[in-house]
Amino acid sequence: MFSERELERYKRQIMSFGEEGQERLKKSHIFIAGAGGLGSPVSIYLAVAGVGTITIVDMDVVDQTNLNRQILHFDRDIGRKKTASAEEKLQELNPDITINAIDVKIDESNAGKIIGRADGIVDAMDNYPTRYLLNDVAIAKQIPLFHGGIRGFYGQATTIIPGTTPCLKCIFPKAPPSEVFPVVGVTPGIIGMVQATEVLKYLLGIGELLTGRLFIWDGMQAHAEEICVERNRACEACGGMAKKTRARKKK
Amino acid sequence: MRWYGKENTCEEEEVMVKIRFFARFRELLGTDIMTDVVAGTMFTPLITTIAKKNPEGYAAIFDENGAFHEFVILMKNGKRIEIADAAKTMVVDGDEIAVFPPVAGG
Repeated sequence: MFSERELERYKRQIMSFGEEGQERLKKSHIFIAGAGGLGSPVSIYLAVAGVGTITIVDMDVVDQTNLNRQILHFDRDIGRKKTASAEEKLQELNPDITINAIDVKIDESNAGKIIGRADGIVDAMDNYPTRYLLNDVAIAKQIPLFHGGIRGFYGQATTIIPGTTPCLKCIFPKAPPSEVFPVVGVTPGIIGMVQATEVLKYLLGIGELLTGRLFIWDGMQAHAEEICVERNRACEACGGMAKKTRARKKK
Repeated sequence: MRWYGKENTCEEEEVMVKIRFFARFRELLGTDIMTDVVAGTMFTPLITTIAKKNPEGYAAIFDENGAFHEFVILMKNGKRIEIADAAKTMVVDGDEIAVFPPVAGG
């Protein structure tokens, strides 16, 4: 049930997907790995949309060089834990949802536990080793992974439904070398919005998901395109999984 | 090589392919490159020739032994080509080839 305040807050989107849809968002739990360039816009928009529980995880403190893109964090937050900064902002944006901010480095020993019973994982990481770990947990728990990646003015995104779509390892079997990558804040803004839109559609059970397709954004050319991607039967992460048909959150 | 039947003429048949680079590769090498190649050209030498136009672009895609970096993604007409198969995959007229790196930032 919604309070009067919540009904007012969500009035304009209830016009789009009804109170039942809003209820589904409220009952949902999304895990966001990273409170940086992608994690900022994703968490902000999922919070204001009314996703009932958001867990956001990061191990870093806010640095001045983050501020061109990590819009959850303000100048006054420099030196503060990103999780503390994120929790404060998200809770202020929407006091009617629950924010769990966890200050930890996601690794093999804790990933399954901190992701818990989340309905989906948002990949807002900046490196492939951790992305592969999220991919493994998504496969083990059979929950979707909403992938995004950016560099400079370029970005990519796809929605992974384990057992149905290619997994991250099917698409990108080998990690690129790690680097201090150039980035302009607008790029994670765009890719983060693609991810957040996917999360909402998945939770609501509406629209066509970005599955089996890699969305590629070239901001310099203002050009978006997609490449079809397929499961690799010999994939070391998901190769053994039987094909499933369900690509929607259970009601 | 194909014999066209004209006296003393032995022309090589050419095919037209389109090469599309993405992200960092696009910055270094451009994109939507239409090129004529001799029929029977394999995937790897074709990309090698194009990439050599910019040493930095070449180094982004190939290692010092001239092999594709293992993270490079190759597609032909929307279908994945494994790096191991690239040297023995022939390009044919009208092929659209995509070469891209996974972008890692977040």
